[in-house]
Amino acid sequence: MEKTILLVEDNPDDEELTLHAMAMHNLANQIVVARDGVEALDYLFGTGRFTGRNPNDLPTVVLLDINLPKLNGIEVLKRIRSEQLTQLLPVVLLTSSNEEEDRLKSYSLGANSYVRKPVDFEEFIKVAGQLGLYWILINQPAV
Amino acid sequence: MLLDKSVNHDEVLLRTLAGRNFYASIQTVVKQKSDGQLLLYGIIEDISERKHAEQVINELNETLMKRAQELESVNKELEAFSYSVSHDLRAPLRALDGFSRILLDEYQDRLDDKAKDRLSRIRKAAQTMSGLIDDLLQLSRITRVELTVKPVNLSQLATDIIVELQKEASEHQVSCIIQDNVTALGDAKLLRIVLVNLLGNAWKFTRNTDQAVIEFGVRSSETESTTIYYVRDNGAGFDMAYADKLFKAFQRLHSANEFPGTGIGLATVYRIILKHSGRIWAQSEIGQGACFYFTLGK
Repeated sequence: MEKTILLVEDNPDDEELTLHAMAMHNLANQIVVARDGVEALDYLFGTGRFTGRNPNDLPTVVLLDINLPKLNGIEVLKRIRSEQLTQLLPVVLLTSSNEEEDRLKSYSLGANSYVRKPVDFEEFIKVAGQLGLYWILINQPAV
Repeated sequence: MLLDKSVNHDEVLLRTLAGRNFYASIQTVVKQKSDGQLLLYGIIEDISERKHAEQVINELNETLMKRAQELESVNKELEAFSYSVSHDLRAPLRALDGFSRILLDEYQDRLDDKAKDRLSRIRKAAQTMSGLIDDLLQLSRITRVELTVKPVNLSQLATDIIVELQKEASEHQVSCIIQDNVTALGDAKLLRIVLVNLLGNAWKFTRNTDQAVIEFGVRSSETESTTIYYVRDNGAGFDMAYADKLFKAFQRLHSANEFPGTGIGLATVYRIILKHSGRIWAQSEIGQGACFYFTLGK
């Protein structure tokens, strides 16, 4: 099965830049984008716009922004951890914020990693490459 | 009714013959003489002023409580504000930097040098602003955090910071003299920020100095009861005429071309030292290096 990355990102600039950075590491084809929290959950559970999608085909990792319309990243993470199907799914918070409050909340809700998006695009490309490499190739998932 | 009884400081509203109302405190003892005559001994005290003072105090208390509530809501608003800054202000900068970089990359054979230079300037400006946002957030966070006071090994902290500085700029040769076993009582996280800024500045301002030396230690003094810590360098220094601007936010004594910086570092240091009830001051001469002294606690 093809490994996928679910990118949850509402800002079109950040989406484009993340895709570009991932493409620099040949990872762009594996990315599915959800543009808010509700869409992310719809994708994962095969509801709404994604009705008919098999929810058992889980992505390899979810890259989750915090500041999202409708349901924010923290709320999405909470839902992911509360459902049996997704409770062990790797979730990486990929966000602008470096607020301690956000980091604490994320980890206490069971985030696997918390990564700050750098402003310097060269750094961003590096971060994207390392994330992709680690979660797609190195990390061994629970199930 | 008052027979053989007393009245103790009862407060009543009385009226003078001239018709002025006033609050009075009455103290009276009633005695009955053997012939049956009633005698009243007593004091009537005009307590209008005390009453008035009480009222003023009550009003002041109410105002204070209102102020405290206002302050709390302003604080909450500030917190929400910096949270939003932290989240929302960086994304546009990332777009500025990212798309400029993509243009430089994908259109490199179609852009002339001038265009490339201008794109590089956009990138640099975006990164400068990102640094500014980080520093400002740190400054505002310091005002909000509660101190966690513990013994801190400043020598160890200083050594770690120097190692990091050396990693970042290995081409800059500096001899660092760090006094052993310098400790302090304070908040480790915040004292780290103090040393990062002071040592970082010393590092920065000795960039053009041959045989640069940076020292950290405690000033030995027999007259002072408080420990005075210092960070000294033999770099660019500054004109003491501007010493009062040193610790104010956005005040820079050097041009950004000469020595880059946001002008928030020493303001942050100042706030941390103040939070520790300490003092900070500096001594310098242009071209002769600078020495920053600080104390922690009274």
